[in-house]
Amino acid sequence: MDVIIATEDFSAQEYYESLRQAAPQAGAIVMFVGLVRDFVGESASESKTAPSVDYLELEHYPGMTEALCQEIIDQARERFALDAVRVVHRVGKVTASEQIVLVAVASTHRVRAFEGAEFIMDYLKTRATFWKKEVGADGANWLGMKQADHDAALRWEKTDVQPS
Amino acid sequence: MIKVLFFAHLRELAGADAVEVPLQEMTVASDLLNGLQGHVPQALIDELQDQSAMVSINHRYAGWEGQLQDGAEVGILPPVSGG
Repeated sequence: MDVIIATEDFSAQEYYESLRQAAPQAGAIVMFVGLVRDFVGESASESKTAPSVDYLELEHYPGMTEALCQEIIDQARERFALDAVRVVHRVGKVTASEQIVLVAVASTHRVRAFEGAEFIMDYLKTRATFWKKEVGADGANWLGMKQADHDAALRWEKTDVQPS
Repeated sequence: MIKVLFFAHLRELAGADAVEVPLQEMTVASDLLNGLQGHVPQALIDELQDQSAMVSINHRYAGWEGQLQDGAEVGILPPVSGG
């Protein structure tokens, strides 16, 4: 399985080992782990008072999410000549400093591995059907897509990265 | 019948994860703006009017002009915020 939707915390080490086994000839493995930042609500920049946030609640569209993630992985594998990929994304309740997402890729060379991991992460944030809600004493707030994430994904459409 | 699924704040406005509506004379997803009348709260219909939500049909992004067929599963998707 390339994609895991996890309701519990996960072991990054376990996915590293799994990649080593899946791609024994690889020359490079790049792993990205996204953590939940210590909360000042992400909506704080839009309002003068920072909302107090106790935890995030993540939901997704079962079936579609897995299909979309696999599509993104397949694109990345082809475009960056990746040997193997693992993606893990948390759903449910996630609190500060917990792991929320893991992208791990194996390739022959490091440049392609770095690019492949970044491509997957950018597309996960802008295409995959996950939604985050900040929950705190002052109430709950669904987060929208950030312009920076949208722009980050767009650059992959503009430039066709040449094999290194 | 068309099964319509709602997510995030749209699900909360709908008060339900999903509703089923008869296909009748609907042909494209934007016809749901009328087709959902009476099946979900008016607040949700109002929220959908600007068509800023994305639409999937049978687990694929389709857009509001996507073709509806009997038995289709339609997702009404606010801008995503994973990762």
